Formats: sequence, C-alpha cells, structure tokens
Amino acid sequence: MTTGAQAATTALSPPKGGEAIDPIFRQIRDLVYKVCGIFQLEEKLYLMVDACGRRMKQVGIRTPREYWDLLTAHSSREAEIRQLLNEVTIGETCLFRSQPQLDALRKVILPELVAEKSKQVLKRLRIWSAGCSTGEESYTLAMNMLEETDGLLKGWTVEILATDLNDRSLETAKAGVYGDYALRSTSEYFKRKYFSPAVDDKKLQVRPEVKKLIAFSRLNLQDDSRMLFMKGMDLIFCCNVLIYFDGPSKAKVIDHYYNNLNFGGYFFLGTSESLLKLNDKFHLVHFPGTIAYWKPSRKSGKL
Amino acid sequence: MTTSVAEMIRERVGHIDTMPAIPAVFLPLLDLLNLPPERVKLDDVVKLVSYDNTIAAQCLRVASSPLFGLAKSPESIKGAVISLGLRKVETILLMCCLGNALPAKNWALDPVVFWRHSLGCAMVCRKFSEKLESADGDKAYMAGLLHDIGFLVNCIAFPKEFAAAVALATEKQIPFDEAERATMGFTHCETGRELAKKWHLADDMVQVIAYHHSPERSESAKALVALVHLSDLLCHMRGMGYGYYERHGVDLVSDPAWAILMAEHRDLDGVDLARFSFELDEAVGEVFELVSTIFGGSKAQS
Repeated sequence: MTTGAQAATTALSPPKGGEAIDPIFRQIRDLVYKVCGIFQLEEKLYLMVDACGRRMKQVGIRTPREYWDLLTAHSSREAEIRQLLNEVTIGETCLFRSQPQLDALRKVILPELVAEKSKQVLKRLRIWSAGCSTGEESYTLAMNMLEETDGLLKGWTVEILATDLNDRSLETAKAGVYGDYALRSTSEYFKRKYFSPAVDDKKLQVRPEVKKLIAFSRLNLQDDSRMLFMKGMDLIFCCNVLIYFDGPSKAKVIDHYYNNLNFGGYFFLGTSESLLKLNDKFHLVHFPGTIAYWKPSRKSGKL
Repeated sequence: MTTSVAEMIRERVGHIDTMPAIPAVFLPLLDLLNLPPERVKLDDVVKLVSYDNTIAAQCLRVASSPLFGLAKSPESIKGAVISLGLRKVETILLMCCLGNALPAKNWALDPVVFWRHSLGCAMVCRKFSEKLESADGDKAYMAGLLHDIGFLVNCIAFPKEFAAAVALATEKQIPFDEAERATMGFTHCETGRELAKKWHLADDMVQVIAYHHSPERSESAKALVALVHLSDLLCHMRGMGYGYYERHGVDLVSDPAWAILMAEHRDLDGVDLARFSFELDEAVGEVFELVSTIFGGSKAQS
C-alpha cells in the first residue's frame, strides 16, 4: 500500500474552478455515506477521487464505472468500501483535529455536565476514547481537561480510558512521541505547556502529567462481555472507527456506547461522520460547527 | 409584551424620520421571487434592476466580480442579468434594495454580518424545503432572507438600546433575542412586524418576521414559520450566525417547531439532519462571497 501523504501529492490535484468531477464520484460519495455514515465534503471530494484512483490501480481497474460496479457488487461491496475509506482517512489523524468539537466540549458540554453532576458526592468525570489508535485524540482531550483544572474542573477527578484493538498502535500511543505532521494543528501554547523535547531529534514528547490522566488498554469493541464493563462514562469519542464494522455489529457497538454512557452524557463521532439511523435513542445535538449525540437526562426535557 | 411597549414600538417605527417608505421596486420584486422560476421573465427582471440607478450599478459590479468568473465584464444590465442568472439577480436586488432603504450608519450590527446570516438562512430554508416534497422552496427562501429584518429596524429606531443588547449577547455568548428581552424588553420580532405591516408585506411574511422565535404563536403560516425557525437555528450552528460563538446546543427534533412542521410535512421524519448539516458547510463559502461582493469586504468572521 502506498502512504496517503505520498500518493496525495502525485495523484490528481484539487479541481480548479469549473473542472468537472465525474458524476460517478458523487454517486460513490453517497454510497460511502449510506454504508458508513462518513460524508466527503465537496471541497474534499478530490481526496476521495484520488483514493479511488489508487484503489483502481491496486485492483487493476481502469474506469470509474468499473470501479462503481466493484463497489456495488454484493460479494465485494463492504470490503472494498472499507479499503477505499482507509485510503481516504489515511494520514488524517493529528492532535487537535477538530477545534469545533473541543469548543463544544469546553464551552457548552463541560459546564452542563459539571452543573448536572455537582450534586453528586464523587466529583469524577469519565471519558472514553474508543478506537484511540496512536493516541492523538486521547492526549488532546487530556490537555484540554487539564486546562480546566483551575476553573470548571477544580476539585474534580478526570479519567480518560483509551482503548484500541491494535497492540502496535497502543504502544505508539503510550510512548506519546509526535512529529511535526501529527502536531500540525497544535498551538505553540499547548506545545510549550504540555510537551518536552523527545530523544528523537525533532519530535516532541507528551509530559507525564498529561499521561497520568489516561489509561491505555486493549479492547475489542465486538467483545460483548468486556464492553459491559465500560460503564459510567460521561463522554465517549469514537472517530472514524465504525467504518470497520458491518451494519448489525455497528448497531450493537452503538448500543453498548449508549448503555455505557451516563444519563446526560455525550457521544462524539468523527467530523463528517453520522450515526445514520442506527440508534433512535440518542438525540442529535448541534453545536457551533459540529454535532454530537446526547443520551437524554433521566428527567429528560431540555438540554 | 404589554400594550404600552407595543404602542411605543409602533410610535417609533411609525414616526421616526429615518424610517423609510417601502422602496418602489420592493413589492414587485417579492412577487417575482414568489413565482416559480419557469414563469419569471428576463425582461421583467431587467426592468426592475434598471429602475434604480444605484441598484443597477451594484448589479453590474457584482456581475463583474471574479466570483462569477466571467471572461469579460457585462456592459448592459441585460447582459449582467443573463450572466448572473435570474435567481441570483433577484437576491442581489432584494439585498441592495433593503440595504439602500435602510442605510447603515454606525450600526450596532455590521451589515455584512447581518446579510451573511439572512442570505445563509435563505439558502438553508430553500435546501430544507427541497427535502420536503410539498414545501415551497422559493417562498421559504424569501422568508429566510427577510426573517430578521427587525434587526435593521432596531439599528435605526432603537440604536442605543439595541447596541446594549448586541453587547450583552456577544459578551455572554447568548442568542440575540434573549439579550434583547433582557435589555430592551422586546425583540426584533416585534419591531420587524411593525415594519412589515407598514410596508404591507404578505401575511405569511409578516408571520415569519413576527414569530420565527415562537412558531407555536403563528396562526396562518405555522409550517413556514416553523421551517424558518429550524433553518435559523441550524444557520447559527453552521457558521452563519451573527459572528460570535453561541454557547448552547440545539436539539432540532425536540424543538416544538419540529412537531409543527411534521404535522404538515410527514416526510420530515426521513430527513437526515447530520448529513444535511454537512451539506450546508459546502454552501457557506458562496454565501459569504456573494455578500462581500455586494457590500464590500469585511473581516468579520462568523
């Protein structure tokens, strides 16, 4: 497999004003959304066109039309869509990937959760980074929570559980060493405050006080008995992970998330990812520039 | 609202010197906007554009902007109308017409930010209507464009009071109508309604302007008002609000407007709101560019 960063530079560049994209790619975009709930924005459509190009080369197909047939053939459909999405999302992960999500979290959700839970004896916030991969999201959450320790979260304990199926990803995550590419969206402020120079020349190492918040562990999201033990979450983040499941197992994983969330808790997907119609108990809530899914409070009603 | 406040609004909107009479091209323009596109005649639009020199010049300027990528600037109004497309010209015309009728002079609200939201809401209203089989997209578009017209009235008739409301809203990061109620005791819905009545706008537009924050109070245009209400909320959450972070979440399906809209459009149930909001992000850029071209650039970010 080629790496995304390399391939993206050699393949087609973004279409400049008026250069038409073969309509079949919009059909592919709709298919990908219908099957996986991930939406390719028009401005990013060329990334998907590139990815299709790479997949076509790999499987030896020449025209987009033939590729469409492969994507829709019953036998190859799910596997090929997954391969395609792998190509699209490759190399996208970085720290501070979605600022609107972080804003919603700190400006709206956190004050709400703190107010709701303040009557409880145990001032504890539990966050689950499900499918944490190499740790970027988990550390981003940890740093943002640390920013609140003198304010909103004064006197609170924050626990972040970060799980992934892949042992090698988890090793990288635990090491917490990141280069320029992963840190491309991280501000100087955060770099200075929460990182120190790594042994490896230009990279940065996450500081121990950030790591202390996070427990990394291996978890198969399809392991029902272990999923039952992930109870009492206030927030769950699961970005671009559900693409790896087929319809029924996806619905089951989402049910687990719902059950493991506290009442009034929130569930976040990737930036352009949706739950489709897989769960009707969650409420879709819009925040400036982002969406999240809410498990209604026991008393329900207003946010 | 108490009667005395209502009186006061009527008084100020009715008598203030700067409050203009309805622009001559406004009503014929609304009629045109209400027609299905296939019934709109090129010559009618050209005639309306040519009626007012300022507006004609603005249309020519917009048509020559790089936004439309024309090889050569159009020399005639007709050329401009053809290259822009009828729908776009109607929108530009409406915005110029209202912009000229209610000129911005040290307003509490940046007109560029105001029009970004109004045009954004119009766009969302049309796209929302397209998802519902029996909704009228053109009417919804116009409703979206006009729904917040009360803010323009506030800027002119209540400059000091409204400036305080804007300051409170941006400081506390709360919606404008909440801030208006807290500082002024009434909102742009009431002031907008007075202007709409003075201008003899169609009843459904008056309803939209008066009740887009309380659709359940609308009597004769409930579904349209509810659609504008929901589109308005969505706009604020997708980068087309009033230029500051609004600290709240929006649960459209639990909003009373959802049930109101559903009563008339059963297929609302099938609308995928997550996907809809992703699609809206694709159209924001065009809305911003169009407004900048008409009103000149502003650095204000939404």
